[in-house]
Amino acid sequence: MANARALDKRRKSVRNIRKITRTMELIATARFKKAMDRATAATSYTRRITQLVSDLAQSGLEVKHPLLEPREEVKNATLLVLTANRGLCGGYNGGVIRQAMPRFDELNKSVGGTRLEVSGKRGINALKFRGVTAEEEFMHFDDQPRFDEVDVIASRYLDEYTAGHLDRLDVAYTQFISIGKQVSVVETLLPLGGIEGVDDEEGKKQSSSGESMYEFLPSAESILEEVVPTSFKVKLFKCFLDTAVSEQIARMVAMKSATENAGDMIKQLSMTYNRARQSQITGEIMEIIGGVEALKS
Amino acid sequence: MAELNCIVVTPEATTLEAKAEFVALPLFDGEAGILPGHSPMIGRLGYGELRIRTAGREQAFYVDGGFVQVADNIVSVLTNRAVPAGDVDADLAREQLAAATKRKTASDEEFELRDRTINQARGQLRVAKRTR
Repeated sequence: MANARALDKRRKSVRNIRKITRTMELIATARFKKAMDRATAATSYTRRITQLVSDLAQSGLEVKHPLLEPREEVKNATLLVLTANRGLCGGYNGGVIRQAMPRFDELNKSVGGTRLEVSGKRGINALKFRGVTAEEEFMHFDDQPRFDEVDVIASRYLDEYTAGHLDRLDVAYTQFISIGKQVSVVETLLPLGGIEGVDDEEGKKQSSSGESMYEFLPSAESILEEVVPTSFKVKLFKCFLDTAVSEQIARMVAMKSATENAGDMIKQLSMTYNRARQSQITGEIMEIIGGVEALKS
Repeated sequence: MAELNCIVVTPEATTLEAKAEFVALPLFDGEAGILPGHSPMIGRLGYGELRIRTAGREQAFYVDGGFVQVADNIVSVLTNRAVPAGDVDADLAREQLAAATKRKTASDEEFELRDRTINQARGQLRVAKRTR
């Protein structure tokens, strides 16, 4: 049986680790609440944009925009991978990388020049380990991505796309579906397949009449021209927000199970420790009794 | 008299939700004033000053493009950025303007882009000047 002192030492260290993981869980919970609040605040904008688009569609306007049309020949593609800056969040980063790598290989095969852009230290390191170098790396996105920062990236993509240096943009990130469910996915953001609100049933019905109660200033076409890039930016921003929220949830879950495991381990260790101690005591008593017996005779 | 309900939303958050008597919007091609009972309208915003008058008091914001939707006495302003007029950084805007005017353009797209940047900087400067 292992010696009691070593067991006790081990138990103490596990206890310390449990303290740390529990604190991390609490921190992740607090951060998650903040990130979640931001994400909900952002939905208000998305909802209104969707409403606006469906109103536009009702006016009988044909929704057409260069950003919506797929290119005939895809020459340049970009894959943007969104990961976390920090680890200790279970399979979160691994999941995204696992989704991103096959897509990257596939794009590389079908499209000659594929650029890879990565956000998050973890993703950068993981891809470096796999021998893929990212052309652009971002590390400044924390649990609260700001729209200005995302806007810079989004505008660059839009400019490249309109100038013809980019034909396709894929984003690998963790989609937030509910608090209990997040999935790593790869989505194609450019060309935008369509914008939300266009295919509304209601919109279709109204558009046949061709009448809308709205007056468009300066014109519906001009507004559409602006709505499409905006809706792309919002979509990209939502990817970043989802990434942030999912990261905190993943960390929360990982740390929770770590804390629980530490608890189990402490129980196990305590049991072995007690047994070891008891057998040590028994051994000592036996020795004393043996000594007394020996003296008697 | 009916009142307007003015809501300013950015992708990050709802910046402002207030009752108003009068709202002046910086539309893409000029300013538009909205009074209660305005007919339904969707407009494209430019870079400029959004003014909201509530009970004689005026609030001003710099808005960075976007859209406005007016219906049922509700004015929803969707913009990338809404900054209280006092917080506009005039020096930064001046720098942006100087950099943009110097930039050379080779194609129509680039020219459009430069035009947009210049307009944005000028809008900020205008708002900054007014508030000073």
